[in-house]
Amino acid sequence: MTAAAADRGSFRDPGSRIFSDGGRILRAIMPPAASAYEAARDSGLIADLVGRRSLLASEERDPACLGLEAAPAYVLEHPRLPFVSYPYEWGFALLRRAALHHLDVQLDALAAGFALSDASAYNIQFVGPRPVFIDHGSFRPYVEGEPWIGHRQFCMQFLNPLLLWSRRGVAANGWFRGSLEGIAPEELAPLLSWRDNLSWTVLTHVTGQAALQRRANSGRLNGGKARAPRLSRPAFEAILTGLRGFIARCRLRDEKTVWRDYAQDNSYAGAEAAAKRAFVAEMAAKVRPRLLFDFGCNSGDYARAALDAGAGSVVGFDADHGALERAVGRADAEALDFLPLWLDAANPSPAQGWAEAERKGLGERGRADALLALAFVHHLAIGRNVPLAMVVDWLVGMAPVGIVEFPPKSDPMVRRLLAARPDIFADYDEAAFLAAVGVRARLVRTRHLSPGGRLLAWYDRG
Amino acid sequence: MKNRRLKLAALFAVFAALEAPAYAYLDGATGSMLLQAAIGGIATWLMYSRMFAARVRGFFSRAPAEAEAADEAK
Repeated sequence: MTAAAADRGSFRDPGSRIFSDGGRILRAIMPPAASAYEAARDSGLIADLVGRRSLLASEERDPACLGLEAAPAYVLEHPRLPFVSYPYEWGFALLRRAALHHLDVQLDALAAGFALSDASAYNIQFVGPRPVFIDHGSFRPYVEGEPWIGHRQFCMQFLNPLLLWSRRGVAANGWFRGSLEGIAPEELAPLLSWRDNLSWTVLTHVTGQAALQRRANSGRLNGGKARAPRLSRPAFEAILTGLRGFIARCRLRDEKTVWRDYAQDNSYAGAEAAAKRAFVAEMAAKVRPRLLFDFGCNSGDYARAALDAGAGSVVGFDADHGALERAVGRADAEALDFLPLWLDAANPSPAQGWAEAERKGLGERGRADALLALAFVHHLAIGRNVPLAMVVDWLVGMAPVGIVEFPPKSDPMVRRLLAARPDIFADYDEAAFLAAVGVRARLVRTRHLSPGGRLLAWYDRG
Repeated sequence: MKNRRLKLAALFAVFAALEAPAYAYLDGATGSMLLQAAIGGIATWLMYSRMFAARVRGFFSRAPAEAEAADEAK
């Protein structure tokens, strides 16, 4: 018997649950869900979606291998993803991409005679910037006339956050992180203007749905005879394709500016940048990390250098949405295995949801083999008053090997941070930085980018 | 504003008598179910109109070379 552990975030669907066994990821399909899985498998839908890389691959294993008291009908093994991310960590481009991917999977399934049992954004993951659907337990035979069961969930987890972003210019990450089910139509509707409601999609899926839901909540729709609303198959398909077209056209207000900046960034040059790239490349070539974290990734210049030198995949983190959009553009344009995510490093994604374990904190998901933290520590140590030693401690704890850059107080970017506030950071200097690294790891090498200027420190905990 | 109220009033007229059940393990929510029943027909009409418009546009926007090739193939 193995010691497979149930994933604490996989419990909502009693028919399909995830277990981990060492490094293996296993899905138990329970007997009540077996016939739906068999139908999807035997129709060729699963193989077709896996073949097109829309759906995560799977292989059937011995159902007894999990050693569960209530034996599953099937056990599937999935390849382990480099990193599990959550929708509240995605920038606009990734959330839009995930929404379109969900709709594409729905449409493909419907064409094959299947429907999805939910529309959870957490069922989409990213491999580099490419979305992949991960829930093999979601497919069930479509019943003619049934409504779209996941419609409200789709609106809350995809459409509404995208609308908040594109129509009101407000990034949805903070709200989404605080409300894991997403943004309800009743919450978004009061924030939209009458102009927003000139759109058929907004008028119906947000304002109309909110009005109906409020009416239902007040009990004014509960007096009549119970009967199931019927939705014909062409109407189901029309709603899906209508939403797909709308979301594909959804833009950030300043999206063009962002892309222009990417083109400018692409010609990023300079002696210091070249020296940094060389240092990063040297570390990546020696360590060959399967997964590398890049804190303060910006548009991904050094992620690219690490990948070129031998890193398997890079997950980048930045708090600047413009930088994240440019980074996604770079990952696409240069076909990089690079996933840029939104993160406020002073307040990283926590463990939360049911029993504070449904969604894992950043540290619990982190299995990085190496990290980069370039032009990063001053934002925490000076911008957010986190003592330098604590910043170094947190970073060195995230990966066994890495490069951390220290910009001194004379650096123009640090001077800018200090310009409007008193300098209360007596311990912020190079000697203190090197001492903080030295007590936690071995210093493999250091390099100044200019005399008395920024310092790169390559550490190794081993 | 008046136009918007009229549209919403029309939607409510359709929704008023409907009642939604719960499906599977996920509560579909009443508002969502009623909305789908109400807009399904219009959404279908919009989809077919768009497909028809795209075909018409496609017919008139055929590149000359492509049109010649198509004619020759006949």
